[in-house]
Amino acid sequence: MEAYLLNLGVLISLYAILAVTLNFIMGYAGIYSLAHAVFFGTGAYAGASVALNFSASIFVMVPTAMLCAAALSLLLALPALRVRGEYFVAASLGLQVLAVTVFAEWKAVTGGIGGLIGIPPVDIAGFEIYSPGSFFILSLVTLAAVVAITRLLVRSSFGRSLKAIRDSESAALAFGKNIALIKTTSVVISAALAAIAGSLYAAYMSFINVESFMLDTSVLIMAMVIIGGTGTQLGPIVGAALLLILPGALSYLSFLPQTEIGSIQQILYGLGMAVLMIFRPGGIVGRGRAETGEGEA
Amino acid sequence: MTMNGARNAGETLLEIRHLEKRFGGVKAVADVTMDLRAGIVTTLVGPNGAGKTTLFNLITGHLPRSGGSVRWLGRDIGGLKPYQIARLGIARTFQDLRLFSEMTVEENILTVMEPNALPFRLSGPPLKERRARAGHVLERTGLADKRAVRAMDLAYAERKFLSLARIMATDARLWLLDEPASGLDPHSYELFLALLREEVSAGVTVCIIEHNLDIVIGISDRIAFLDHGRLLADDDPKTVLEDPALAAIYFGDRS
Repeated sequence: MEAYLLNLGVLISLYAILAVTLNFIMGYAGIYSLAHAVFFGTGAYAGASVALNFSASIFVMVPTAMLCAAALSLLLALPALRVRGEYFVAASLGLQVLAVTVFAEWKAVTGGIGGLIGIPPVDIAGFEIYSPGSFFILSLVTLAAVVAITRLLVRSSFGRSLKAIRDSESAALAFGKNIALIKTTSVVISAALAAIAGSLYAAYMSFINVESFMLDTSVLIMAMVIIGGTGTQLGPIVGAALLLILPGALSYLSFLPQTEIGSIQQILYGLGMAVLMIFRPGGIVGRGRAETGEGEA
Repeated sequence: MTMNGARNAGETLLEIRHLEKRFGGVKAVADVTMDLRAGIVTTLVGPNGAGKTTLFNLITGHLPRSGGSVRWLGRDIGGLKPYQIARLGIARTFQDLRLFSEMTVEENILTVMEPNALPFRLSGPPLKERRARAGHVLERTGLADKRAVRAMDLAYAERKFLSLARIMATDARLWLLDEPASGLDPHSYELFLALLREEVSAGVTVCIIEHNLDIVIGISDRIAFLDHGRLLADDDPKTVLEDPALAAIYFGDRS
């Protein structure tokens, strides 16, 4: 039971990092990306490759993963941010589909469908972090750091620029904001921070393959953000915890037919999301409908 | 009471030459040539759909022009992006305000002072100075006790003043104001005029779109009259307002 809870805690922390970093662009820049699992995966493959071939030190693995994801995100951001919101969603979906193919086929780097196995545990100044307990602490500390960084950014002049662009692009332009540069920067930061979760995930699981980084993961991360509360500090973490605890919690309800638990879970997700969006579109942590207001200004 | 008359016009800030904008077959702006000179308040008047806002959009680069040129202090700014034109010192308001509606009143002001904001890089004066300046602007526009309120939660007149406060916080030399006083109650309207006068005497050059003739008469040094995208007159207020042909167009009597 303790191992189960620690494992859940690690996964919640890592997915919370993903949700927090996606919320950074969704909630503050108004950029809806369905490619977040790509940066999660890039971080995981890059971190794993470095750990397998070069060094498992966290100070080598994580920065490499961040750099790779940041570089890849530029490929998405540079062309895609020239178009308006809804087209970015389509472009990110394209990248997601493309990336899954590359993850599955580029055997030399990703191990193909079989993935990468035997990834060594992460090493911090000579200490290997492999027990669930110590890894849980590491992932919590990392989550706290990512939250602190995004919080600092959101409250800075950069964050105000992001929010200004989200609220009115034409007004932001009229006040001298270089929208393409600011949006691109936010996507690169978001991808690089998401890659931290990826590299830690690879080291924790010691095995990764493409199935962890497909479209349904991107959708799951987006659902975490929306359900928890887009544009709130705490929402993505609440959303991540809820969506990861729910499957386990359901299996404890003995009156449910255990063989159908997967379908029941899907039905509950769907229903829950629809009901939430109708009655509480700001998410669990977000403002209620009465307060969100549709002012024309 | 009026700003008209006794001030000498300074250098030419903006030179508009044969400016044209076509939407399909329709000429929204056709062959407009005019100068905006430092210290002069120019009012753009004309019936709805005359091309006044389109003219603003062409100047600020929010719309690409179809022909003609716009020069700022002698430099052709036709190919620049809106944010680059804004950084030259041309600021504008929007008829529908386009406030940063989910941000607080103070954030709305701070962010216009931070065009270059990139992560962890200082842009412009330090935050303390920006805050002080924002406080000063909010004080003058009567929004000081609303600084923590989201823009969308403001009353109508307060939104109009926030739109003005945003532009006051910039260092722009030329302000393009799109119906900034429409719908204001008499008290707010007096405050608005007083603020505008202060800014003009502090050296700001204003081009304003306005329908209310009292305001037009009260603040204009020049009146430019647009109809169907054409500039029918660009002269001192008396000459334009006393022209019976223009009055007929303005008041809808085309018979």
